[in-house]
Amino acid sequence: MRRDAPSGSGPPWLPWSAGRAARSSRKCPRSRFPVQVGKMAVATVFSTSSRMLALSRHSLLSPLLSVKSFRRFYRGDSPTDSQKDMIEIPLPPWQERTDESIETKRARLLYESRKRGMLENCILLSLFAKEHLQHMTEKQLNLYDRLINEPSNDWDIYYWATEAKPAPEIFENEVMALLRDFAKNKNKEQRLRAPDLEYLFEKPR
Amino acid sequence: MSGVRGLSRLLSARRWPRRSFTGTRVFMFGIVERISAQYPVVDHEFDAVVVGALRAAFGLSEAEFDTACVTKLFPTRSHTVAAQVGINAALGNMEGDNWRWHFYDTVKVSDWLGDQDAIHYVTENGLACPVSQPEIARMVLVVSLTEGCRGEGGILINSQGERFMERYAPIAKDLASRDVVSRWMTLEIREGRGCGPEKDHVYLQLHHLPPEQLAMPLPGISETAMIFAGVDVTKEPIPVLPTVHYNMDGIPTSYEGQVLRHGNGQDQIVPGLYACGEAACASAHGVNRLGANSLLDLACALSIAESCRPGDKVPPIKPNAGEESVTNLDKLRFSTQNHAAVFRVGSLLQEGCGKIKLYGDLKHLKTFDRGMVWNTDLVETLELQNLMLCALQTVSGAEAWKESRGVHAREDYKVRIDEYDHSKPIQGQQKKPFEEHWRKHTLSYVDVSTGKVTLEYRPIIDKTLNEADCATVPPAIHSY
Repeated sequence: MRRDAPSGSGPPWLPWSAGRAARSSRKCPRSRFPVQVGKMAVATVFSTSSRMLALSRHSLLSPLLSVKSFRRFYRGDSPTDSQKDMIEIPLPPWQERTDESIETKRARLLYESRKRGMLENCILLSLFAKEHLQHMTEKQLNLYDRLINEPSNDWDIYYWATEAKPAPEIFENEVMALLRDFAKNKNKEQRLRAPDLEYLFEKPR
Repeated sequence: MSGVRGLSRLLSARRWPRRSFTGTRVFMFGIVERISAQYPVVDHEFDAVVVGALRAAFGLSEAEFDTACVTKLFPTRSHTVAAQVGINAALGNMEGDNWRWHFYDTVKVSDWLGDQDAIHYVTENGLACPVSQPEIARMVLVVSLTEGCRGEGGILINSQGERFMERYAPIAKDLASRDVVSRWMTLEIREGRGCGPEKDHVYLQLHHLPPEQLAMPLPGISETAMIFAGVDVTKEPIPVLPTVHYNMDGIPTSYEGQVLRHGNGQDQIVPGLYACGEAACASAHGVNRLGANSLLDLACALSIAESCRPGDKVPPIKPNAGEESVTNLDKLRFSTQNHAAVFRVGSLLQEGCGKIKLYGDLKHLKTFDRGMVWNTDLVETLELQNLMLCALQTVSGAEAWKESRGVHAREDYKVRIDEYDHSKPIQGQQKKPFEEHWRKHTLSYVDVSTGKVTLEYRPIIDKTLNEADCATVPPAIHSY
């Protein structure tokens, strides 16, 4: 669904590096449980090494150490919601990978372009990858890596690509420009699904 | 709310997670070229292993379970997070007695195929959302289109340029409700009047409307139409097609998410195995799902937290655990088949007779990419195998299901068949035996080697968790 981007509403996008305090007012998946977030291992299938992302033991003590009410429900954007009890789910910060070969990086970015949180980006990014990924330089690959992996909400990427919202400075680069141009669909193609992978293995003409 | 009481059992002592390696194993396979492929396997032990279901994984981790989350997507990509904007906006506060109205609505909308204990559980615990319009299928412009288009005067056209909605709904025409419109769009396509080279969609025409009218209320539509369909809405019609949005079937579970096996007329719990969200069928949805229920993941996590403790002993795994999966993977990488079958799933399934042949063709599958690092080809091939198994079962179950109920709508069997005919008073009616009515859950089993599907049935759970607090809603006619 093409969500018309709300203008000026909602919390500003902030990179992970801005720090937890800056992000504390952001909306995020939240619960009312006044517990400390334990250690959790996340394994992405087929990662380069048997990489278990061990999260550091954030002790996110909720401001409400004792819970008055045991009602479990999710609140929307109610004006009376103080959001004081929000607990942020800590995720590892994005980091440029210096230990992988350029071929592995390309293969990883292809996978990450095709598996997204929403259909619009699945289609847009997998077609973009088909068009551009094979010709990108290492520098461009790293720019693309940050673009598709650092934002925590896929919708942000879609809004920036379709110019519904301005992108943060850090993403304003040649790859963002390529993506914006691609999104315009100047050749008026039908982009109804992600492309099959045969193109990767076809002999170049 | 016993789940939360369970969580209030906070442990002040931190428990360091065990990262124990119970050993390494090696699977070896000989292949035709006489080079054996070696797969070193490392075993890890956790209190809880979650496949997908990010929210459940965090819930368990918060409850001090040593948790591993295995996912194809990096956590921020998961659908729950991406959908967050929509969920937070839709949710309201469930106060007082409102949840009982919501319970009633959910039972009704599920067309009495939902299990009332599961519905009671999710509505009382405020984990479901009181949206009045059931979601069945949605019109799709690649992704989706708002009804605003039709509301603004857009019309649906088939390949003959006919405004076909006039035939199906002479009064409402294109403004009929979306579930009904989706059904009739499908019918037009099935009867051969679809558009495009594959004849698999119809057109939504907007260009007869004045451009100012299009730009004002529907700016997003114009852009989406260009981005994904290459269509200028002021000049050309937009291809639209009905699509699958959500799977209401799944792994059968209790209302708390415990996986069930059915044998000798009884449901038996499979200890230690849980399923929730779209993969599971508790069933809180029956044949129609109310909106924004992906938070049911959390209900599952909570009930696990209640019934298990971190550090509970689990039985050791078999020495050849995982061998089947690795064998399959190895076969895909090194298959000697030379030709690649092209799967034309849509048309073959439509014929209805090709499905077994299609499954047989799967043995010719092989990947182009043999790598073991970021191999998208391999992952998507595995997905194809899994999807095929699901599709086979869905189609077989639906073919055998000879009635219409909710989203399961058949032109050849238009009537809903319960134990009693609810269009008449029940007194004096003979109750139909289990085999002769369709108010029951279909259980499908598939033989992975042959693709043969076996169907069994289990009864709907009508009893709620607390009849005094929330009485069972007896079946009644549900008109759309």
